[in-house]
Amino acid sequence: MSNASHLRIEGLTKLYGATAAVEDVNLDVAQGEMLVLLGPSGCGKTTTLRLVAGFVAATRGRILVEGKDYASLPPYQREMGMVFQSYALFPHLTVAQNVTFGLRMRKLPKAEIDTRLEQTLDMVKLTTMADRYPRQLSGGQQQRVALARALAIRPKVLLLDEPLSNLDANLRQSVAREIRQLQRAAGLTALMVTHDQNEAMTMADRLVLMNEGRVQQVGTQEELYEQPLNPFVARFIGHSNLVAGDLVEADSLRLPGGAVMKLARRYAQRGPHVLALRPERVRLHGEGDVAPPRATATVEDGTYVGGHVDYLLAFEGGASLALHEPTGATGGTRRARGERVALTWDAQNERLFDPNGAIVTAAEA
Amino acid sequence: MSAPPETAATLPRAAIPGSPGTVAALTAVTRLLVFVGIALMLIPLLMTAYMSLFADGVVTFPPSGYTLSWYGRLAEFPKFGQSLSTSLRVAAMATLCSLLIGVPASIALVRYSFPGRGVLNVLLLSPLTVPGVVIGLGLYVLMVDVEIRTQFPLIGSDWVLILAHLLITTPWVVRLCVANLVQLDRSIEEAAANLGASPGRVLWSVTLPMMRQGIVAAALFAFIVSFENIEMTLFLISPGMITFPISVLQYLEYRFDPLVASVVVVQTAVIAALLLAIDRYVKLSKVV
Ligand SMILES: Nc1ncnc2c1ncn2[C@@H]1O[C@H](COP(=O)(O)OP(=O)(O)OP(=O)(O)O)[C@@H](O)[C@H]1O
Ligand SMILES: [Mg+2]
Repeated sequence: MSNASHLRIEGLTKLYGATAAVEDVNLDVAQGEMLVLLGPSGCGKTTTLRLVAGFVAATRGRILVEGKDYASLPPYQREMGMVFQSYALFPHLTVAQNVTFGLRMRKLPKAEIDTRLEQTLDMVKLTTMADRYPRQLSGGQQQRVALARALAIRPKVLLLDEPLSNLDANLRQSVAREIRQLQRAAGLTALMVTHDQNEAMTMADRLVLMNEGRVQQVGTQEELYEQPLNPFVARFIGHSNLVAGDLVEADSLRLPGGAVMKLARRYAQRGPHVLALRPERVRLHGEGDVAPPRATATVEDGTYVGGHVDYLLAFEGGASLALHEPTGATGGTRRARGERVALTWDAQNERLFDPNGAIVTAAEA
Repeated sequence: MSAPPETAATLPRAAIPGSPGTVAALTAVTRLLVFVGIALMLIPLLMTAYMSLFADGVVTFPPSGYTLSWYGRLAEFPKFGQSLSTSLRVAAMATLCSLLIGVPASIALVRYSFPGRGVLNVLLLSPLTVPGVVIGLGLYVLMVDVEIRTQFPLIGSDWVLILAHLLITTPWVVRLCVANLVQLDRSIEEAAANLGASPGRVLWSVTLPMMRQGIVAAALFAFIVSFENIEMTLFLISPGMITFPISVLQYLEYRFDPLVASVVVVQTAVIAALLLAIDRYVKLSKVV
C-alpha cells in the first residue's frame, strides 16, 4: 500500500492548548482514490482537512504528496484544490473569473487559461453562465462553480468539506454522483469530509471513521460494516446493539439482569465483555419454535416501517435489544407487546469486544 | 375567526401585563414621543429654510415677500470661496489619509491576532470619546509650543487641520471597515490562498474588493465628519484661513439674514445627500 499511496499522512496531530483536536492520524490514499472522513460532530474531520490544506498549522506530523512533505508549506504553495462547505465563491468576480482565478495566480498564458476555462465549464455544464455573478446562481450551480474552480488548477489532491450539506435533499444525490464522476474522470486523489453516513457510504472508495480526534477504523464500506474493530465503529456504522455482560463460560454471556446468552463461538477469555449485534442480523422466532435459542426475550415495542418491523426487546432483568424482522417472512403481521420470543444469529454476525474495546477472537472455530 | 387558542402570534402580547387597552395606550405614547423627537429636530431646520426665502435683507416678521434670489447670491457670502475651498481641501485630504491608516488597521484588527491588538483597538476608537473642544485645545497648546520652539507657523496651515481631523475621521473609518469585515466569509480568503494567491495577492484581489462597500461608506463619512467639524477646528484656524462652518459661525456673530440661512440650507442638503448615499452601502443604524 505505502508504495502506491499518492497522499500519505503520518502522525498528524493538532493541539489546541492541551486538548488534541486531531491526534496521531495516519492515512494512505492511493492515486485516484476518494477517501471519506466520517464521524460525529467535533471529532476532528474539518481540522484534519484544514491541516492538509494548510489553513491550520500542524503541531506534529507529515503530509506527503508524491513523497514530498507539504506540512510546513503555506496554503498557496500546496497545490490542493478545496471545495468549501459555504462554497466561498468570490462575490465580486464572474463565474469565469472565479474559475480562472487559480490559473491567473499561476500566471498561465492567456490561451491556456481560455482553453481550460472552456473545458472546465463544459465539464460542470455551466458554459452559459460564464458571465454571471455568484449571487445570480442557484445553490447547486454555485456548488458546481466551486468544484470547477478547484478542478481548473489540476490540483494534486482534491479536498471537499461537507460539499453537499448546503444543498436540498433531492439535489444531493445527483450532485454526489456528479462529483464522484468528475473526480474519477480526472483520476484525482480526493479527501472528503462529511457527518452524513449515507453520503459517506455512497461517495467513498474507502472510509475513515474518526472519534475524539483519533482514527477508529479505515476500510471499505463492507469492512467497516462487517468487521468493526471496536464498539464505537459497530455502533456508529449501522447502529449495532452493544450488549454488556460477563463471559462466564466459553460460550455464555451473562447479562446484568441474570439472563444468559448462548454465543455462536467459544472464547478463551472470561469476565466483562461487550457483544455487538446488528438489528437486522438477529433472527426472531416464536418461543419454542427453535431449540435451543441463543436467548429469549419479551417484545417491548414494535414499529411497522414497511420493509421490516422495528422491535425493541427486553431481556429478563432489564437489558434491551433493537431488532429488525423483515415483513416478507411474516406476511406483515406484527408481534404483540409482551409476547415471548426466541433469538438466533450466525457466528459471523457476532462481534465480541473486551472492556478496552479491543476485538476478541474465538478460541476455536 | 373567533377567539383562537393561544397561537404564536398572540403569545407575545399575552406576555405584556395589562389589558389590550393598556397596550394600545403605550403604543400611542411611544408614537407621540417619536413624533415630538423628530419635530424637535426638524423645526429649526424648517425655520431656517423658511427664512432663507424672505425677500427682506433684515429678517422681519412677517416678511414683505418671498424670493429664491438668496440662493443665487451664495457666492456673496463673506469668504465663501476661501472657506469652502479650505474645507473641501482639508476634508478630502483627511479622508484620504484616514483611509490609508484606517483600512489597513481594520484588516489587522479583524484578521490577525498580535500582541497589543486590544490596545490598538482602544487607541483607534478613543478620540470619539473625548470632546472635540478638549482635543482642539490640547492640539492648540501643542502647536503654539512647537511654533515657539521652531519659529515655524503652524496654526492656520492645512496640514495641522488635516492632522487634527484625522483624529476623528480615522476612528470612523476603522469602525465602518471593521463592521464590514466581520460579516465577510473568512473562507473566501482561504479559497484564494488555496488557489495559489500569496497573502499580498489575497489582500489585493479578494479582501479589498470585498470591502468596497465599507470603504466607500467610510470615505463619505470621514468626509462629512471633517467637513462639518467646528469644535476642534476653532482652535486651529487663522484669520486668513477659516473653514466653511466657521465662516458661517463668524457671520452669525454679527447678523442673521436670509443669505446665511440659504447657505446653511445648502450645506445641510449636501450632507443629507451624502448620508443617504452611505446608507445605501452600509446600514448606518448598524454601526453608529
Ligand atoms: N480554533 C480552535 N481553537 C480551539 N479548539 C478548536 C479550534 N478549532 C477546532 N477546535 C476543536 O477541535 C475539535 C475538532 O473540531 P472540528 O471542527 O475538526 O470537528 P468536526 O469533526 O469537523 O465537527 P463537525 O462535524 O461538527 O463539523 C472540536 O472539539 C473543536 O472544538
Ligand atoms: Mg466540520
